[in-house]
Amino acid sequence: MSASGSAVRLQRLLAMVPWIAGQDGPTLEEVCARFGLTAKELAADLEVMWLVGLPPYTPDALIDVVQEGDRVWIHFADVFDAPQRLTPDQAVALLTAGASVLALPGADDGGALARGVAKLSAVLGVDADQVLDVDLGAGATDVLDVLRMAVADRRRVHLDYYSYGRDARTERDVDPYLVHAEDGSLYVLGHCHQAGGERRFRVDRIAAAVLLDETFDPPASVSGARGVFQPDDDDPRVVLDLSPAASWVAETYPVESTEPLSGGGLRVRLAVSTEGWFERLLVGLGPEVTVVDAPRALRHAGRRASARILDRYR
Amino acid sequence: MSGQKLERLLNLTALLLDARRPITAERIQQQLDYPEDRTAFRRAFERDKDELRTMGIPLRVEKVPGALPEVDGYRIPREEYALRDPGLTTEELGALHLAASAVQVEGLPSTEGLLKLGGLVTEGARDLGVQVAPLPADPNLARLFGAVSSRTPVRLRYHSQDRTIDPYRLEFQRGRWYLTGYDHLREEERNYRLERIEGDIELTDEPTFEPPATTVPGRARGAWELGGEEPLRARVRIDGPQVGWAVQHLGPDHVVEESADGSVVVELPVTNRAAFRSFVLSFLDHAEVLEPLELRDDLIAWLS
Repeated sequence: MSASGSAVRLQRLLAMVPWIAGQDGPTLEEVCARFGLTAKELAADLEVMWLVGLPPYTPDALIDVVQEGDRVWIHFADVFDAPQRLTPDQAVALLTAGASVLALPGADDGGALARGVAKLSAVLGVDADQVLDVDLGAGATDVLDVLRMAVADRRRVHLDYYSYGRDARTERDVDPYLVHAEDGSLYVLGHCHQAGGERRFRVDRIAAAVLLDETFDPPASVSGARGVFQPDDDDPRVVLDLSPAASWVAETYPVESTEPLSGGGLRVRLAVSTEGWFERLLVGLGPEVTVVDAPRALRHAGRRASARILDRYR
Repeated sequence: MSGQKLERLLNLTALLLDARRPITAERIQQQLDYPEDRTAFRRAFERDKDELRTMGIPLRVEKVPGALPEVDGYRIPREEYALRDPGLTTEELGALHLAASAVQVEGLPSTEGLLKLGGLVTEGARDLGVQVAPLPADPNLARLFGAVSSRTPVRLRYHSQDRTIDPYRLEFQRGRWYLTGYDHLREEERNYRLERIEGDIELTDEPTFEPPATTVPGRARGAWELGGEEPLRARVRIDGPQVGWAVQHLGPDHVVEESADGSVVVELPVTNRAAFRSFVLSFLDHAEVLEPLELRDDLIAWLS
């Protein structure tokens, strides 16, 4: 629910009153921290409660708010003895977050989060394992553990990495800045000493990661920026005609120009960083793509790759 | 909102929660701080009811029993309003808070629900060590989750066809939301991509369903499984150097044969042929479809 500013206060009070009433005089500071408000906001909210109760609204029928020093008590609030149920969007947001973290490689199935999600599912009347399945990305637990440790301790790692673009296994030393999850995959972002620059590696393509002794200083700000594919200026450029069914290519890769074709397709120009990547693009698109212009070495990349694959089927 | 209006809404909630019998609008006007003018009262009362309903408070309108002439009354059934206490420990609440702060779904309130569960606690939570990009939103997500939870069949429009579906499960795979459910008309279990559902889903009045116990959740599914085509079982040989990441990607359960040269054979259930072809071709000449002949021929034809 996109609660309006006013509904937020009502909603918060309906959650806060039963909680305070169930405690033995929590400090104002603790109440503020738990319910995300300032001392002034809390004072205003508590003031409203002074005149809340049931008919006939005589002093004995009103909820009793007692403030002594830095502590607060609420008595006679039986009518608000339980918080309101979670709305479906609150429930799905919480369970999705819980299920996502539990699905990360190496998560503790018996830990506090697992127990919390199980208890929450029970009161919501669902079996979270059955009704919600969230996968943020794959990776070997031991690899992910090494990467997390390396990021936290700012230690260099040695990676045995399968480079998809080049279709080859490579060995690299990397200063990992952060691990992040995006679009269904886990990545580690860092400075690659072999490439001499910042690179992103998919965690599920790392066959092994070893923690090295060297340490490093990460840059001041790092974010798991979008875009696996960052073309260099001297990468060769190609021009492709895409059928309507293949027009997603223009949204997925950083094309440098697009123009519509009669019949609904697109003509795009883009950089090719590695031949392996280009071969996959072409064989994957098959009849939906035509190479209009390309350097000599890439002009027949699709046909060559198809021929190599077809050889296996003879 | 003025303190006065907030106070009135709290008193209205208390009055209706405490009521054993529905309370008439007239009596609500007498009891609470509403304008005396009839039209002004009606307007204010309508706004208050809307406000409570927007918050998800189950405000019911019922005939007052025994009243003649018939008259409507209002109440909030406590059993529908109140959250049963899940009994979360401070540590569990802290872990949920950490997860909710780390993983957000665009457009959904990430920590609002925690207030009802005991507040925002930071104790005992360890750093996750993974930065998670917000998951994409879908306008039908919350309502579908409600339907999945209450086991209520839904009506939705998909591929320009109206369908009635028993919604079994929501899945977030490879960056997209999917619904798995039983299609009444087709009489089988299918997958639906949420972003391809046309318009809003509708909850039906049909009787609730019993989800099957046979589905195997908690496993990442390949794009080739996320389709509505006739299911096939495909066997694919993957060469040695690619085995490592392929198996990590697929999960070890799919490996049905390991050869001395380091290659493996994996078996995959296919209900989306185009996605299966893309997957196999992503190995270039390091993989080969062995069976069935239909999928092998399909790939040969695609490349020829």
